[in-house]
Amino acid sequence: MIQDRKRLSSGLTVTSKVFVRSRNGGATKIVREHYLRNDIPCYSKLCNKCQLDLKPDSHGQLPQFILSEEPQKLGKGQRHYIVLDTNIILHAIDLLENNECFFDVVIPQTVLDEVKNRSFPIYQRIRSLVKSEEKRFVVFHNEFCESTYVNREKNESINDRNDRAIRKFSSWFKEHLNKDNSNIPISIVLICNDRDNRDKAKKEGIDARGLAEYIDALPNADDLRDLVPNEQESFAGAETINETSFPEYYSTSRIMGGVKNGTLYQGMLNISTYNFLEGSVQVPAFKKPLLILGTKHLNRAFNGDSVIVELLPKDKWREPSTTIIEESNIGVNDNADDEDDENDVENTGIIPDKERQLLAQEAMKVTSVSNEDDKSKRLQPTAKVVGIMRRSWRYYVGQIAPSSVSNDHDTGNVSKNCFVILMDKVLPKIRIRTRKAKELLGQRIVIAVDSWPSTSKYPQGHFVRCLGEIESAEAETEALLLEHDVEYRPFSKNVLDCLPKEGANWTVPQNLDNGDEQLAKRKDLRDKLVCSIDPPNCVDIDDALHAQQLPNGNYEVGVHIADVTHFVRANTALDNEGAARGTSVYLVDKRIDMLPMLLGTNLCSLKPYVDRYAFSVIWELDEDANIVNVNYMKSIIKSREAFSYEQAQLRIDDKSQNDDLTKSMRILLKLSKKLKQKRLDAGALNLASPEVKVHMDSETSDPGEVEIKKLLETNSLVEEFMLFANISVARKIFDAYPQTAMLRRHAPPPATNFETLNEMLRVRKSGMSISLESSKSLADSLDRCVDPKDPYFNTLLRILSTRCMMAAEYFPSGSYGYPEFRHYGLAVDIYTHFTSPIRRYCDVVAHRQLAGAIAYENLDLSHRDKNKMELIVKNINKRHRNAQFAGRASIEYYVGQVMRNNESTQEGYVIKCFNNGIVVLVPKFGVEGLIKLDMLGDADSAEYNEDKFELTFADFSGKKRCVAVFDKVTVNIKSIKDEITGKRKAQLILQ
Amino acid sequence: MILSPAERSYLYDSLTQTTPIRPDSRSDHQFRPLEAKTSFLPASNGSARIRLMDGSECIVSVKSKVVLRSQENNLIECDIDVAGHRDDSNFVTNLSFNLTNLLSKNFPFQYLRLTSKYTFKLFIDCIVISHSSYPLSLLSLTCYLALKTTKLPLLVSDVNDEEIEEQPTFSDDWDNAQLLSSMIKDESFSPPIFITLGVIGLNLIFDPTIEEEQVLENGLIISWHNNKVIAPISNMNLAANSNNANYKGLNNKIIIKGISMVNKYCGAVTHALDTLIEQDDGNDGAIF
Repeated sequence: MIQDRKRLSSGLTVTSKVFVRSRNGGATKIVREHYLRNDIPCYSKLCNKCQLDLKPDSHGQLPQFILSEEPQKLGKGQRHYIVLDTNIILHAIDLLENNECFFDVVIPQTVLDEVKNRSFPIYQRIRSLVKSEEKRFVVFHNEFCESTYVNREKNESINDRNDRAIRKFSSWFKEHLNKDNSNIPISIVLICNDRDNRDKAKKEGIDARGLAEYIDALPNADDLRDLVPNEQESFAGAETINETSFPEYYSTSRIMGGVKNGTLYQGMLNISTYNFLEGSVQVPAFKKPLLILGTKHLNRAFNGDSVIVELLPKDKWREPSTTIIEESNIGVNDNADDEDDENDVENTGIIPDKERQLLAQEAMKVTSVSNEDDKSKRLQPTAKVVGIMRRSWRYYVGQIAPSSVSNDHDTGNVSKNCFVILMDKVLPKIRIRTRKAKELLGQRIVIAVDSWPSTSKYPQGHFVRCLGEIESAEAETEALLLEHDVEYRPFSKNVLDCLPKEGANWTVPQNLDNGDEQLAKRKDLRDKLVCSIDPPNCVDIDDALHAQQLPNGNYEVGVHIADVTHFVRANTALDNEGAARGTSVYLVDKRIDMLPMLLGTNLCSLKPYVDRYAFSVIWELDEDANIVNVNYMKSIIKSREAFSYEQAQLRIDDKSQNDDLTKSMRILLKLSKKLKQKRLDAGALNLASPEVKVHMDSETSDPGEVEIKKLLETNSLVEEFMLFANISVARKIFDAYPQTAMLRRHAPPPATNFETLNEMLRVRKSGMSISLESSKSLADSLDRCVDPKDPYFNTLLRILSTRCMMAAEYFPSGSYGYPEFRHYGLAVDIYTHFTSPIRRYCDVVAHRQLAGAIAYENLDLSHRDKNKMELIVKNINKRHRNAQFAGRASIEYYVGQVMRNNESTQEGYVIKCFNNGIVVLVPKFGVEGLIKLDMLGDADSAEYNEDKFELTFADFSGKKRCVAVFDKVTVNIKSIKDEITGKRKAQLILQ
Repeated sequence: MILSPAERSYLYDSLTQTTPIRPDSRSDHQFRPLEAKTSFLPASNGSARIRLMDGSECIVSVKSKVVLRSQENNLIECDIDVAGHRDDSNFVTNLSFNLTNLLSKNFPFQYLRLTSKYTFKLFIDCIVISHSSYPLSLLSLTCYLALKTTKLPLLVSDVNDEEIEEQPTFSDDWDNAQLLSSMIKDESFSPPIFITLGVIGLNLIFDPTIEEEQVLENGLIISWHNNKVIAPISNMNLAANSNNANYKGLNNKIIIKGISMVNKYCGAVTHALDTLIEQDDGNDGAIF
């Protein structure tokens, strides 16, 4: 309800909006005053009126007129400006970003607000479109403009009111420009996919068109037509989608009520990589995750969605499945056999909350009992999805399923439905409509998901763009960057504008006493014998070291870190971009930088022989590497040499080298060994992952061979001092900012994670077990698990243990109590990341906080505000994880390319056993592959002993064979391309 | 204003006439003229203001909150603030007790109920900005107007949450909010009010002014609800702040007379208030 205090015509206007806010079950009447103004410009260069009455904004800047004087013509018609409705932005954001269409676009504020409420990522994309000015997008604040403001009428829904506001704006804009104003007539086209709104608009004399209709009117319509996203109506018309009916989601009020009284749970859905019909949701109420089985219970949820689940009655509880089910196996004829589709009658009766609470208690009991042999105890509570709080939908990469494209030649240019199989195999197929299905066969394509109605068996999406041929390096690299949500586009202009004006010629000032207060606080350390040790060909050198013996017999050791925050000031576009990217991403053949090249590889990089700004931590250590004293300072250093690990190792080992620099490196090495020993004594873990390195042929960039990473003493020299610096800095910033210090923790693994592994050890390797009391006992028990006949077994076990660990995470110190700061893997009480600010954003924040702690400069508010820190931390945790996955995926791809050319026979280890297959890890290539039963031998003869983790079967020669977990097997390994997903996989054949 | 002995005697004599002669020429069952305005506080669910000719003014605001039925004893809470009196003074606590007691005993609470678990709770905030005579009647009339114009947000979620819990959700449109009086379908909603009567000789006078209060022999407070007198009926010295020499015991015939007078005339009072609400243009905030 809105009333005017004064008449709109009598000068300044204040109106008030009255609405009810229901939150957490409450209902509050809210009254907001709303001020309208009459001096909002229309941003069109054609306008002769608004230019006359310009008012500066709060920064004293005059508004820029952006809409072109010569906008595009529609067919042969008039030149036009575009007004967008919310549904267009939400569904066709890709099209808006396309450089072929949509210029001179006005987005009413009403629309922008609606977009913001519906989808924040899309909102950010539209904001950046407006900001970049390339496509001439502007936002008109129609809600604050006297001429375009509309009151909500009695009994009018808020949507109707907003639609009316958009129409009002369109007609006002048309009138404003064309009535004794613009020199040429200009038409305003309102693009809207809501038919009702369009009809109303037409009645009011507005040129309103649907998206498809508008695109058709463009000169280059043919290229664009396929990019038009699917509307639901177009699907329904083409094909009766009533294949299935999923249960409807619960209403918000029921979800809120249920979550509050503990009968519904919220959590992240995690689909099993071995069985796409099995998902699990970890909720805080239970120790073990809840299982969700079958498509009906998964109820249209995607992997990674934040879902609401409800427990199923006890007779539906199951053990986790030991069968491998991949969609590609069964999806061909669309008959996924759901476990309990038919006899699912529990929906008929209402189960009261009381009963559900009892059920929850039961589930609690079951999940907390650990490791009992009793079969009934192994049952896990199952649940079904009853609501989705947040979709994880993003761009997906996949390829068109060849079987879904019909072979008729005469279909011509008609758009047809086809299925897209996504690279991520835990996700379902997506139905899209395209005219170009045939051309797109065999190409990696990007699609977006639009919706998943309850009557459709598959989600509906639309084609976005084509990356290139499957298996071409560019397409695959771009695909994996997209799949892992890595921002890889070049830095935008306003980010690059934040770099120093001198560019690559920037140097440390000659005169250190030039009146710059901050420069005066810097310490000149150019006389120290600093050097850096990095991997070969490293260009972004962010750390350097020095050491020297002091007269009192102690050692002075310095760690110098690139002073990135000198260039990356808080709250600049550069800082925001870095914060959004969170980390650099390292692929086999490519690096995606967090910060622009100029900084990363030049100005910040601690290159040898030149002066550079650094942030230094300088300790005085005694003979046993105990800290006597520690100092932190911004400094100027001059690195004497940049070594590779190998070079440094050679120089240290070379007895003939006795210069001061080598001596200082020897001191560093000596101290680092002591530091390492101390750490191991405290219980630091030495875990393993099957890391391999791909050698590239330098001429052709073709992958040559695969090698397992080698570690030198100098690797651990640098590592030890970086850990040491990180710990010291963590203590300092926690001391200065107890609530918001940027720290990193590693939680101890919950015992349940190790249950299966320990059970396997107990059954297969008698006498071995992994102890979980502390990181020390875990490290010791891992050391004890040695198979004298098989030296690799210990490494295998370390690899498997690593998978049971929790992931380390960044956090602001205020979110946990001090005892929970502990870093389990490193066995230290407090830890942060400080030493790689060029490639990690956490380090940038730690630098700023340390600079604040030593009173070098004031700490920016965003790093002192707990809520803002939470946001930063959440993002960098996510980015960090994605970067790791992307790196691994890149290695996997190249390993596949290597194997493509060499078929070989290798040793492997069985690491998992199912009733219809085994999983084998091949250490040489660091790959693991599934061998299905029908590849092993006679499927009917197989017998799976679940308690002993062994699978007995008759192989093709009829001999009885038994394979169990941890068995060493010989496999023939070759790389094959899966024709359905287009993904190269290692195919293993048991010899 | 304190009267001189001569004035007191004159006033006493005129009021004890067979047909009492009141200084402002009202008849014995007449209220002082008042001016009222409803629904003028934008942030409240219901509000009213009454002003009398002598400058007495009272504002009442009603707000609602969703509460769990099991956790609330009182679904109505009154808070009274009288200018010039401490909140913990006898004067204010008496007013507050009387009003809360009357409302909580005679309010159709079942209509505040939302679901089997949730209900609205009403918070009635009264402020007496200035007053000359005893303000209880003024307060209760203003409350009457405020409650009659109280609107409650419209529940859009399921009403039955006996078995499956739902968190109440409401329509975001304030225009959809329902008048409390329209939610009560089978009976007309009429909140209880207090009528103050002055006792002097064998006469009873409605709504005594401050001058009349000073010569009264006793004061009667009679509750009225649904067109009849209800309990409680109490007596008190209305001239709370001055030394009233005339004050004496109460004749039981007077009580019966009082009840019959209230029964006879009070319907007109509520009717007048109802008409007032109807005639109010309902333009929120227009008095500012």
